[in-house]
Amino acid sequence: MNTKSYFFQSFSIVALALVAFIGFKQILPDKIFSDSKLDSKNILIDSLLLESVAQDSLSLDDDSIAESERKLNQQKIVFDETEGIEFPAETFEDYKGYQYLISFYEKLYQLEKNPQNKVRIAYYGDSMTDGDLIVQDVRTNYQERFGGNGVGFVSITSESAASRGSVKSTYSKNWKTQSYLNVKRPTSPFGVNGHVFFANDKSNSTWVQYEAGLNKFSTSLDNASLFYGYSAKTGKVNFIIGKDTIKKSLSPNNLVNTLKVSSGSLKAFKANFVQADSIPIYGFNFDNGAGVHVDNFSQRGNSGLPISMFNADVMRAFNNSLKYDLIILHYGTNVLNYGTKNYSWYEKGMTKTVNKIKESFPGVSILIVSTADKSTKYDMEMKTDSAVVPLMKAQKHYALETQAGFVNLYTLMGGDGSMIKWVDETPAKANKDYTHFNQRGAKAIGNLLYGQLNKGYEEYKKLREKRDAEGTKPKPVRRAKPDSVSVTTDSL
Amino acid sequence: MTTIDSINNWFIQNFGAITIEQVKSWFVYNPDEKLLFNTGLFLGLFLVFYFVYGFLRKTFYLRLTYVILFSLFFYYKSSGIYFLLLLLSSVVDYGLSQIIYRESRDGVKKLYLVISVILNLALLGYFKYMNFLIVTYNDMFQGNFALHNVFLPVGISFYTFQSMSYIIEIYREEIKPTKNYIEYLFFVSFFPQLVAGPIVRAKDFLPQIYQKLNLTRQDVNNALFLIIGGLIKKTVISNYISVNFVDRVFDTPLSYTSFENLMASYGYAIQIYCDFSGYSDMAIGIALLLGFKLPTNFRTPYKSTSITDFWRRWHISLSTWLKDFLYISIGGNREGSFAGYLFPSLFFFGLLLWGMANYTTSIIPLIVALASILVFCLSFLLSSKRKQTLVTNFNLFTTMLLGGLWHGAGAQFIVWGALHGLALAVHKIFMEFFPSKKDKSPNFLWRFFSILITFHFVVFCWIFFRARDFETALQVINNIGQLTFEPELWKTIVLGYKNVFGLMLFGYVWHFLPETFTNGMKSVFDKTPILVKAIILGFVYWIVYATAVAGSQPFIYFQF
Repeated sequence: MNTKSYFFQSFSIVALALVAFIGFKQILPDKIFSDSKLDSKNILIDSLLLESVAQDSLSLDDDSIAESERKLNQQKIVFDETEGIEFPAETFEDYKGYQYLISFYEKLYQLEKNPQNKVRIAYYGDSMTDGDLIVQDVRTNYQERFGGNGVGFVSITSESAASRGSVKSTYSKNWKTQSYLNVKRPTSPFGVNGHVFFANDKSNSTWVQYEAGLNKFSTSLDNASLFYGYSAKTGKVNFIIGKDTIKKSLSPNNLVNTLKVSSGSLKAFKANFVQADSIPIYGFNFDNGAGVHVDNFSQRGNSGLPISMFNADVMRAFNNSLKYDLIILHYGTNVLNYGTKNYSWYEKGMTKTVNKIKESFPGVSILIVSTADKSTKYDMEMKTDSAVVPLMKAQKHYALETQAGFVNLYTLMGGDGSMIKWVDETPAKANKDYTHFNQRGAKAIGNLLYGQLNKGYEEYKKLREKRDAEGTKPKPVRRAKPDSVSVTTDSL
Repeated sequence: MTTIDSINNWFIQNFGAITIEQVKSWFVYNPDEKLLFNTGLFLGLFLVFYFVYGFLRKTFYLRLTYVILFSLFFYYKSSGIYFLLLLLSSVVDYGLSQIIYRESRDGVKKLYLVISVILNLALLGYFKYMNFLIVTYNDMFQGNFALHNVFLPVGISFYTFQSMSYIIEIYREEIKPTKNYIEYLFFVSFFPQLVAGPIVRAKDFLPQIYQKLNLTRQDVNNALFLIIGGLIKKTVISNYISVNFVDRVFDTPLSYTSFENLMASYGYAIQIYCDFSGYSDMAIGIALLLGFKLPTNFRTPYKSTSITDFWRRWHISLSTWLKDFLYISIGGNREGSFAGYLFPSLFFFGLLLWGMANYTTSIIPLIVALASILVFCLSFLLSSKRKQTLVTNFNLFTTMLLGGLWHGAGAQFIVWGALHGLALAVHKIFMEFFPSKKDKSPNFLWRFFSILITFHFVVFCWIFFRARDFETALQVINNIGQLTFEPELWKTIVLGYKNVFGLMLFGYVWHFLPETFTNGMKSVFDKTPILVKAIILGFVYWIVYATAVAGSQPFIYFQF
């Protein structure tokens, strides 16, 4: 039997292995799993985004970006007064643009005076707002303070329907869906939710069913009404409420048509579409007719660019019945992963988007919400992704240029490295992908967002009082001129 | 000069410039960077430690003290100041064990044992279960006690159990106490198994301290083979699939398709096995390099043909500990005891309350509650030895409930334990009706289905174990329940996650390889010369490194 001690050999194996490792490190690649790009028709990617990235060859070099950025940061932003109200000047660094939310704030003010009034917000977003995350918290905050009941406009189908708790919707599998995410020329124009649905199946019934969720202020489906578009042919729909079936016919004469399911408040109902094969169906609206209502138009994979394809006439028709006062654009997550830090192409594209919104919803206030913090692994260590800050700055820039309010979600949640904290905290507030928030985190984000919007509102009320106290009559309605931002160089 | 410069450059290129700050960070506790076996820092520190250890092999107290110091440093790197807690509890336990050993009166002996058990459990209870108790109390009685900001010292569940085994074995007169405190501290603080097991039993370990330290070629071969396997299981398979797939699905199960939920459940099953057994294997391997033999902790558990078999193969050191010190203490299969009846009764009562509370929204919880009570009762009512089976099943169920809770403070761990407890009872009654024939081994098909069913039951239970809370677990299960056969869709998902699914497949194939094959691999490895072994180990280091630096796979959303 070998009794000789084997310690020396044992040590040398472990030590030699270290030498071998250094050798391997030099000759073998750095990473073992390549981040291969996926190419499949089944993966949700925004097709306009891909085109824009591909065209992004004429971009500026980094130096000129840094130079223009430096200049921009030093500039002071002074606002022209609107309706006799002028918010204090801001720096680009801390730009919030409350000035451009005045028409929204005024509507809130009127609502506060008269609770029968209505204020409506459309919240466009990406996977961050899937399942009504964040949006439901903004909605609850507003409804808590200003009144209002209901979840707003809900699409027919959605990839995230199962994860939505504020309203439960189930639907038959035979809906034909077209999304602005990957369809350029839809059979009929997209609805305000960016989708259009068709009940094409002639042999099986095409249905959708809604059931009120458990969230505060949305425990019932009030004044449920169907929105559908124009078609040459008519169709039929059966609303099944409990044991009753109500048969109604669809008369698609206008660009956007509505059909009331019931004037009361329901717990649940089912809509069964028959002979409606060519009629574009958009979704259902649930609101009690007073207070604040917030529509969640989330779409996974969206960069925000597809909104620029909206048909303005159709949108104006939607606006006639829904009457939006604020449009929120919350995007960015899906443009972080393309290896570029120059977002001038995105700025250009999103400017088009904002202009389309202005054209579609005349006089509406617009709020841009920046990307949140996101972390990536750099050499074994998680850090804020290097694209986050450049993207956030680009978003701030087009917000300013297009006269939109701005919420800097990145700094609001804590700035550099904050996503790592949100993930590692117990209880955690964000998911292990270091990108998406969980319920708890989304609630925190919703509150932060509402907090900033509300701060602007409180300031607005003070300015308004001051204006009224000074006795100056409200000046004649003056729409902000396209270039009412006067930028003066800081004297320092 | 150029040579020195070039060596310096080479060094910087490979290790980075070393600053005072960095050197300091090697020795100071950092809660974000625990000293795990699969880190480069551990390798570096171990090499230095091991070099000196080799020279001390012929000494006794010097060597023990040297290892104790390294162990305490190792623990300090993982838990900071709480290494003092380890020291304190070891002093108290050592003192009590001495008193118990010297005391001749049975009553007094028992009193000291009870004191010691209560002290140990109180320590564990405070650090691990305080907040859980507060939250449960607040939920049940609308109380609002503030949570304590408790830091969970790493490995406290492991070393408390190890300490307890020492005292109980002395009480049962199965072992003699160590000659002095140093030897005892060596046993309790031995760094390879300190933070994550295996839970070493005093009677297995203490005799090895007194033996002449010896390390054979075969020991080193075994050790390296275990370490290599452990590194791959833990850092490559487990870490990669958890970060890139399993965690995401379990974070928000409803955002994923049924197929993804199903695959995440299979993924978690292989992930937790690789994580746990990989770390155990590394611990056993490292202990072996130091000349100590720790017991095997996992024997390819998913090859089990029954749930009883599973518990003989999964985390063996824990299940034997629970059997010897909990199950037998509360009566085993001999007699019933208050504790043995208390916990199952509480559990079933709670289950019934839950069913009734949810009755207005859904009748399913009540059906589940009644069905599990019925199944549990039938498991002994149908038995021919009714009285004995009743006692056994109650005690077994208690053991599984508390064993579940040992894994973490949370209702989902209790449910996990209860499911296993129920399954063990069911298996027992099944065996009574259909005893397996001893003379011939069961046919292939029978075996295959036994393994398949056992595996799927275990995977089902893991869903509760992994999910953040009970609700999430039900979401995953519900989602999987809606699975339909859509091969095109599955193919797309598999291609989207090809790295993850590839590793999962690798993990399972490796797990289910026949033992003769792994033994064959091992004997080939044993025969290779030292240099080849070093190269293989070095290559594994590189794999670990390259996986560690790999960024996480970008997010994919499928559209169907």
